[in-house]
Amino acid sequence: MGFYVLSSLIASVTLSALGIFMFIRGKSRFEIRIWGYICFGVVFWQIGSFGFATAKTKEMAFYWWQFAHIGTMLVPPLFFQFICIYLEIRKKWLQISAYAISVIFIVINFYWGRYFIGDLRLTPEKFYFIDWFNYRNPLFIIYYVLAYALLLGYSYLILARAYRVSHGIRRKQLQYLIIGTIVAWSGPIGIIISYFRTDLYVYTNLLMGIFPIIMGYAIVRHQLMDIEVIIKKTLVFTGLLAFVFVMLILPTLLIQEYILRSATWGSRIIGLIISGVVIILTMHKIESFLINVTDRYLFQKKYDYMGLLKTFTSEVLTVLKIDDLLNLTVDKLTDLVKLNSCAVLLFDNEKQQFDVRAFRNMADPSVSLVKMDSIVAFLDHTHGYILKADLTSKKIFIPKDIQVVMDKLSSELVIPMILHEKIIGILSMGKKKSDEDYTQNDLDILLPLAGTLAIAVSNAELFAELGKTQAEAAQKEKMAVIGTLSAGINHEICNPLGIARGQCEAFLLNMKDGFYNKKTSEELLLMAQLIMTKVIKETDRATAITKKLSSFAKPAKGESEMVDINKEIDEVFGLVNYELKLDKIEIEKDIDKNLPRIFVDRKQFQEVLFNLMRNAAQSISDNGRITVSAKNINEKIMINIQDTGSGIAPEKIKELFNPFFTTKEPGKGTGLGLFIVRQVVEKNGGRIYVKNTKVGEGTTFTIELPVLDCNGIKV
Amino acid sequence: MIKPKIVAIDDEVGFIDMLSNYFSIRGYDINVSVRGVNGIEMIKQKNPDVVLCDLKMPGIDGDEVLRLTKSMQNSPKLIFITAYDDGGKTKDRLLKLGAYAYFDKPIASLKALEDIINKAVNDN
Repeated sequence: MGFYVLSSLIASVTLSALGIFMFIRGKSRFEIRIWGYICFGVVFWQIGSFGFATAKTKEMAFYWWQFAHIGTMLVPPLFFQFICIYLEIRKKWLQISAYAISVIFIVINFYWGRYFIGDLRLTPEKFYFIDWFNYRNPLFIIYYVLAYALLLGYSYLILARAYRVSHGIRRKQLQYLIIGTIVAWSGPIGIIISYFRTDLYVYTNLLMGIFPIIMGYAIVRHQLMDIEVIIKKTLVFTGLLAFVFVMLILPTLLIQEYILRSATWGSRIIGLIISGVVIILTMHKIESFLINVTDRYLFQKKYDYMGLLKTFTSEVLTVLKIDDLLNLTVDKLTDLVKLNSCAVLLFDNEKQQFDVRAFRNMADPSVSLVKMDSIVAFLDHTHGYILKADLTSKKIFIPKDIQVVMDKLSSELVIPMILHEKIIGILSMGKKKSDEDYTQNDLDILLPLAGTLAIAVSNAELFAELGKTQAEAAQKEKMAVIGTLSAGINHEICNPLGIARGQCEAFLLNMKDGFYNKKTSEELLLMAQLIMTKVIKETDRATAITKKLSSFAKPAKGESEMVDINKEIDEVFGLVNYELKLDKIEIEKDIDKNLPRIFVDRKQFQEVLFNLMRNAAQSISDNGRITVSAKNINEKIMINIQDTGSGIAPEKIKELFNPFFTTKEPGKGTGLGLFIVRQVVEKNGGRIYVKNTKVGEGTTFTIELPVLDCNGIKV
Repeated sequence: MIKPKIVAIDDEVGFIDMLSNYFSIRGYDINVSVRGVNGIEMIKQKNPDVVLCDLKMPGIDGDEVLRLTKSMQNSPKLIFITAYDDGGKTKDRLLKLGAYAYFDKPIASLKALEDIINKAVNDN
């Protein structure tokens, strides 16, 4: 089996498959069906060639050669019709004539084949149609001149004309169609040349299989048809088929040539076994390799978009920090679509204008647009995009002020980011580095992307807002808590002040009223010294409590650090102690000695403990106990805060952590304490729940926190 | 004029020392206690004219002292001196229950306290 035979066989199998696909997929579109017909034409051609090359008798060879010419004769008029449809040219009579000529020659080919093809001759190893060369068969020459020289020549003439007057995307499409089909035609043309020059070996036969594929690729690349998937599959299939063929033949040939030196059954079987093993072992790898190669090199545009969408859905649109989101958007768009420049503008509600929030390679990043600007007005009015090349090609005049803004943005394509019928931002994209224009495919992906980006931006904004509100709520709650503390705090501050003031006043009044008249100055000095020492001691006491209080009142930093639970519990005790003492509540502490430190925001953790202890204290009306315990159970820190208070009714437990839910008297609770406690605990990777409670029998709250190292990674 | 007999109860040692110092030097018969329990014993024993008392104390607190003095035959006048501030609610409640006077700590003027003590005795 020669190379000619093999390539013919592969081409006929793959193109049959492709042709059938075309019929299944392209029912609705005539140009796709025509393309399918072209595939079938080439299939005829190749099956004929295969039969011809493998024929054992001269008659059979002749018969196959006639068969091959059906294909050869069908392809040019089909191609011409395709071009006419694509260019929307009505050359009805010319099309009919082209088909008529083909039909006439097919008839001649069949009934008077000897006068058309000529006679065949057996050259040393194969049949060849060398004899007509001697005859210089006039019909054969006439046909090829008519169909291949004139018709194809004319097809390209009208294509060239259309190209000359085209603009923008259409121009690019035509350019690719022309180049692509010329490359594709080089296969058949090469073969035809070999008909006239028999000394040329038909290498170009290899191109026959790829001929429709190259042509199809040229078409797909510029969206004449939506058949890229089919082509991709066919390419992979072709590659696999070629691989299987080579693998089937190569071992047998090698064994015959170099090992056994004879074509026996034994050598064939050994060859087949080797082939089978190799094919089974490598098939899957070859397939994924082929898919990869077609994706990467032939359908790179598509490949990028898949990547783009994937990157956006998984990496970009989930970002909740607005500046990160915008910068990432600009970076990824620039990299993946390969842009010269890119920018995102967002509407600033305070300034009532669009400002550039993220950009790459912009001519003038200080651009800001107000609603009055034509470009904004246009986007607002149409909710559509502005594509410079599209407008130019349609000869639509772009107003100068829009042109100026787009120049400043270094923009080629402007897409509004619309949310709830309002433009919240503008996505501006510059020229592609490849200098290609934006296509409908691009827009199909970029327009929804801008919409999704609008949602992501709004999410990020809401999240920031929510974060702010939550922080504010937490701070408010804390201040409210400090308010409820004031009795205890007041007691603790006013007592030392009472002592300090009283001691000083008593000394002064005694002096004034003459009670110290008999004392020596040394004695008086000693007394003053004693009083001052007491005053200092008491003011220090008052200062300590205010320090604790102001440290607690400071907003949390939002940064985690390694925290010693025991120390924090003591700290909070120091604050609630007075209150508890006043209410005659005992505190019991049961903390494991070697408790690992936990990785949390220290202030927030204090707030959690504080809230729970204060709740516990408030649930105790008279004489009770609060037990705080902390243990390490299975690498989880379990902190229990147990009280002997009034307990919680089971039906209220569900609502306990809801915001603004409170069972306390008006003015005593904001209803935000436990809500915030849960948020803080969950933010630190833990959970909180009420372990057991019964009305009248007290409550136990349990906090579970993971043991993390100083990088916040689970130990 | 015989100076009034005083019993002072407060868990703050520094404060009770100061009171003791101020009133004894001026000739008052003052007895002090840092515990509510001892204070009650002292009141029963000494039968004072005036009791100065803190409100929030470990063990027996101001409320119980007030109940006791009210139940006594020759009940002494009870003057609260406390750092407990809840916007006057407790003050109103205690005055209603029969406390003679109520001072916030720090006391604005010891002289004023002394005047109230003397007034309490004269009211009898």
